[in-house]
Amino acid sequence: MSGAASRVAQLRTLRRLDDAERTAREALAADPQDAAVLTELAAVLLSAERHADGLAAADAAAALAPQDERVHRVRGVLLARLGRHTEALHAGYAAVSLAPNEPFAALGYATVLQIAGRLDDAQRVALRAVELAPAEPAAHLRLADVASDRHDLVTARRAYAETLRLDPDNAAARHDLAVLDLQAHRPGDALRGLVEAGRMDPTQPLVLRNIAAVVWRLAWLLRIVLVVGVFVVIAAGGGDGATPSVPVRIGGALVLGVVAVASWRTLRNLPASTRPATLAAVRADRPLAFTCVALAVCVGLFGAVAVTGIGVVAVLVWLVLALLAIVAVVVGLARRRRTPS
Amino acid sequence: MPDDALLGSLLAAVDASPDDVPLRLHVADLLAARDRLPEALAHCTQALSRAPGDPRAVALLQRLTAAIARPVEPGFDWGRAEQELGPLEAGFAQEYRPDAVTEDVERPSLTLADVGGMEQVKQRLEMTLLGPMRNPELARAFGTSTAGGLLLYGPPGCGKTFVARAVAGELGASFYEVGISDVLDMYTGSSERNLTQVFEAARRNAPCVLFFDEVDALGQKRSHLTHSSSMRNTVNTLLAELDAGRNEGVFVLGATNHPWDVDSALRRPGRFDRMLLVLPPDAPARAAILRHHLRDRPVSGIDLDRLTRSTEHFSGADLAHLCTTAVERALADSVRLGSVRPVGMADLDAALAEVRPSTGPWFATARNVVAFANTDGSYDDLAAYLKQNRKL
Repeated sequence: MSGAASRVAQLRTLRRLDDAERTAREALAADPQDAAVLTELAAVLLSAERHADGLAAADAAAALAPQDERVHRVRGVLLARLGRHTEALHAGYAAVSLAPNEPFAALGYATVLQIAGRLDDAQRVALRAVELAPAEPAAHLRLADVASDRHDLVTARRAYAETLRLDPDNAAARHDLAVLDLQAHRPGDALRGLVEAGRMDPTQPLVLRNIAAVVWRLAWLLRIVLVVGVFVVIAAGGGDGATPSVPVRIGGALVLGVVAVASWRTLRNLPASTRPATLAAVRADRPLAFTCVALAVCVGLFGAVAVTGIGVVAVLVWLVLALLAIVAVVVGLARRRRTPS
Repeated sequence: MPDDALLGSLLAAVDASPDDVPLRLHVADLLAARDRLPEALAHCTQALSRAPGDPRAVALLQRLTAAIARPVEPGFDWGRAEQELGPLEAGFAQEYRPDAVTEDVERPSLTLADVGGMEQVKQRLEMTLLGPMRNPELARAFGTSTAGGLLLYGPPGCGKTFVARAVAGELGASFYEVGISDVLDMYTGSSERNLTQVFEAARRNAPCVLFFDEVDALGQKRSHLTHSSSMRNTVNTLLAELDAGRNEGVFVLGATNHPWDVDSALRRPGRFDRMLLVLPPDAPARAAILRHHLRDRPVSGIDLDRLTRSTEHFSGADLAHLCTTAVERALADSVRLGSVRPVGMADLDAALAEVRPSTGPWFATARNVVAFANTDGSYDDLAAYLKQNRKL
């Protein structure tokens, strides 16, 4: 690798992408035929998600150094990101053909296959990358991502765990593992994982949004408990909801107990930093904040039932939940309209 | 007994009883008389380590250091010596690198009084850095230390470098600004060597403020650098140099837009153990910056108060961009009309519609940082600001 290419690579490692691009372009002004610099420039532009610009550099590099595996690897990923899957697959295959024992060539090809939707092939190639570099966290992470896309959750979970064993600060692996927990209906584990991922790399924008998704899930669960709770209280009142009675008090207390136990089971063992992170996620999502306040009001109504023994108070919970349902529909429609097709 | 035989036996005696201070001093005396000054000095320091304050040892030490530091005798023929030495080998000549730091030495005349607005930053600087440095006795009495560095952080373009220069001016110290290009080198080991040279030059030129711009690049989290052993070594060298215990008179300041990317080891006591948030300029600072950027330009009817109010959250760089955009508009008009048309509020309003504050993405990340990474209270200032501005 030329001196300029090394410097560009160094700046890319430090995420100084503007400086890296400037250095590469200065070097290319002096020597436009430097294939190593062109390849590095393509890699920089890939990191900066400027795929069309990156492809121009990669095409020039591939013309100058057609035997260089890395050129085809970077070009393949750029083409895949631009949705040109057939060409991307050719480039990825060229990379692995030129360097069949290079784990990063296999990783590039697995990425291209994954983006093209050929998930079975992608998993086979990712497994090959893991064979070639068993101590490389990126290989396990790619395997985990592909397996997750294939809904092979056992492989995905194992590969994420291995990534984290090799690189305990890998925020992407921690985040994706937490998403698997959320999909597996383990919101407590998901919340813990997301908070840890946020601590490892606070710059990840998705983490806060996914914490909000966990809170939405918990809110839905609480709604179900509260709806059933109203039936329990009405049944305990035996038709006369306006007169205070002990069975209604017991019913109200029972609902509060179920809510308390479920909350404790979900939230126990969560790190101290969960609270500020969850609060930030809720504040950033106004409908969610409104939902949380409404649910707190519902729990308060059950508290009133437990104290007064008047069953009809619990019916107000249905009104609040009905209001929440209307808000959910309106927000859902508004968000769907805002999302570009 | 000949003199050297006597000295030999005395040296053997010193080896046999190393704690005999009078004997050691006698040997040091004899070595000094034979012009073997470094050996004499070694014995003298050994004697002093065993008997600190021994008047004979102290007197001998003074004599030896004076003798070692004596000036070159006049009449030395430099020309002849150079001829004897011969030409330098080409390889050596190519190895020479200009000192990375001393090329950029400044002695700023700027002080904090020249920094418009930013009263909170000035107060914090006075409290955490300048006050203790100006009053070392008082700081010692209160058990606070002046050692350790200060990390300035905040959105880009908000004047961190300017503040660092003003700190150097306040301290009457030289200002050495070190950027990543001064240190980073593609060859293995060169970045570490450059960094060591930077610190050595700073120590030679003490008192000075050694300012690392974009310190997150040189001191990035080592867990992010698993594929770059060279960069990991650079971080290790930075840690070692900050810990060296030889940084008397060297005040290390760092600036970064991404303090969360800085290796946590760099934030431990004795290193960058104090953090100072440099926010977008407040109203008085914005007024000063706008005035500065419009001062030598033809202007008319500028409502500075309104402009200051409309530019909340703008960085210093954004304000400069705003003024340039407005000036370009007036210039284009002047060219079309063939006469000077001064910059007015209409130009600035049009520029305001084009130029948006660049600090938004930084605050979006900062919000996450406060949510996830403020367990130790490092970002309490930032959290307070975000809360105050309803960004949290």
